[in-house]
Amino acid sequence: MNVERFLGLTSVAIATPVAIAAWRFGVGSPQSPGAGFWPLAIALVMLGLGFILVLRPHPNEASAEDEGASRWEKLGISLASLLFYVALLEALGYLLTTALTLLVQLRWVEDRSWRSSVLIAVLVAVLSLLLFKVLLKVSLPLGVLPLPAGW
Amino acid sequence: MDTINLLLQGFAVALTPVNLLAVFLGAFIGTVIGVLPGLGPTATIALLLPITIGMEMVTALIVMAGIYYGAMYGGSITSILVNIPGEAASVVTCIDGYQMARKGRAGPALGMSAIGSFIGGTVSVVAVMLISPFLAETALKFGAPEMFALLFFAFVCIGGLTGKSRVQGLLMACVGLLLGTVGTDEIQGVDRFVFGTLYLQDGIGLVPLAMGLFGLGEILYNIEKRQSVGEVLATPKGLMPTLKDWKDSAWPMVRGSVLGFGIGIIPGGMPAIASLVSYAVEKKVSKHPEEFGQGAIEGVAGPETANNAATAGGFVPLLTLGIPTNSVLALILASMMMHGVTPGPLMLIKWADVFWGVIASMYIGNIVCLILNLPLIGLFVRMLKVPYSILSPLIIMFILLGSYAVAGNVNDLVATLFFGVIGYLMKRFNIEAAPLILAFVLGPMLENNLSKALIMSRTGDPMFFFSRPISATLISLALLVLFFPLLKWSWRLLSGGHKAQKIA
Repeated sequence: MNVERFLGLTSVAIATPVAIAAWRFGVGSPQSPGAGFWPLAIALVMLGLGFILVLRPHPNEASAEDEGASRWEKLGISLASLLFYVALLEALGYLLTTALTLLVQLRWVEDRSWRSSVLIAVLVAVLSLLLFKVLLKVSLPLGVLPLPAGW
Repeated sequence: MDTINLLLQGFAVALTPVNLLAVFLGAFIGTVIGVLPGLGPTATIALLLPITIGMEMVTALIVMAGIYYGAMYGGSITSILVNIPGEAASVVTCIDGYQMARKGRAGPALGMSAIGSFIGGTVSVVAVMLISPFLAETALKFGAPEMFALLFFAFVCIGGLTGKSRVQGLLMACVGLLLGTVGTDEIQGVDRFVFGTLYLQDGIGLVPLAMGLFGLGEILYNIEKRQSVGEVLATPKGLMPTLKDWKDSAWPMVRGSVLGFGIGIIPGGMPAIASLVSYAVEKKVSKHPEEFGQGAIEGVAGPETANNAATAGGFVPLLTLGIPTNSVLALILASMMMHGVTPGPLMLIKWADVFWGVIASMYIGNIVCLILNLPLIGLFVRMLKVPYSILSPLIIMFILLGSYAVAGNVNDLVATLFFGVIGYLMKRFNIEAAPLILAFVLGPMLENNLSKALIMSRTGDPMFFFSRPISATLISLALLVLFFPLLKWSWRLLSGGHKAQKIA
């Protein structure tokens, strides 16, 4: 299926419940528009545009240009590490989570050596903590590691 | 003259130590990200949004403006030396710039590009300075219907001026509008699309949206499709162009400045477009068009001047009317609103020091960029040699940290990740994200003015917009822009069907 057709179908699929919800918010009248007026208008336009994308003729596109092999694994690892970060940041604390995530990225996504990855991960985690916590006074979660009081 | 006085006051603001540091920082960061392929001014400003919130409004503006035009300077370096555009606006510079480099003329190419950028940038700031007060005065007469009409026109242009499909662009813009409605409705207090969460009641944050869509999305795409950077040609020694180069580039630079500024003012006018148009124009008016593509300096001087002129030009509608003409300016606008400053006709009255401070700093910034790009160019060339394998994870961490730091809320992180995946998918399938973010920023203003205008009309009759001259003109123009391709399409459909019948 063509990208545009898919986009069109998706927008119809999204615009329909949005239009219904907007209607329920209360559309009001043209001289006194309610909360649903604007979303309804948008949804209707989206429906129209979506239909155009689905129905209009699409010239046969050349198959997606392969500008080099797709590195799905790397992408997967990267995303997984990010999910890990989000899930555990407040539990484990900034320092640990950042260092671990960076390590995974450097070692398994970027294929750097163990030495280089560990070094950079720890360095960046510590330096960024200093930069943001001390210089910019941003509060970051402490978590598990024992750190001096006042942090 | 009044303008000179105000400008001098502006310099008083721009020359404070903090703001001097700011302009240097902005110009430097801008040049760096311009040099590095993959990271552009939109993503960078999105990344720095959390930090700019803590700054003074003027300072934040100075930094962001510096990043914006700095990137135009830096982008050409990579284009000329590596044949990879560091920035969308520098794509055209690859064509003749790289050829010049291969012929050993990288120095003059880089030099002329920096000088052209400086001239384009400075001339257009002068134009901004002269035109803005006049425009702001006119806009003071704007009421809600005129504002809505103007925003509607801007919206239509932006949705339509994307590279690929106009319909796709408008669709993405609609998505942006929809995302803008999430949250508690200001007027009626109704919760819209919050899915019962407390987090969404405040609406979708611009920072997670922008950082995710542009920053994270870009990086994830690069991870999937990592290609090795081309071979970097050595740092050239002599950057000074010859007399002939100057002669050849003079008119292209003049044309580039005017063209760039003109394109920068209109909604959807991106520096990239300005550089493309300039290249086309220079090729057309040249006495030896066959040289284009082989290393014609006009093909470097013109576009580089134009793209810098366009960046300053974009500040005219932004500051005097409150209308951003591309995604970078949309983010700058959002940052201003977060500071409680509403750009628009009143800006020159209420926040005159901010306006003139930014203008003055743009003069300074262009000089800083010229210095960075001429004598200090070796520094940036060396930067091209930093392995992307280190930069990429660092940027990711920066994105995550930035989103968290705004409010200390993990939900922001989730949102960034979510939009990051969306941004990646969009890049993967070649769908433009710029209309989305522009519409997201403009949406609330559109709705606000529309509601006010409808209430003003007392009857809710759409003809009300046509009863007032300014809004009538703008809406008609917008409808024309909107429906022209539709008319073309139906015409083709009808005549195509007719032909088919003849064959059968």
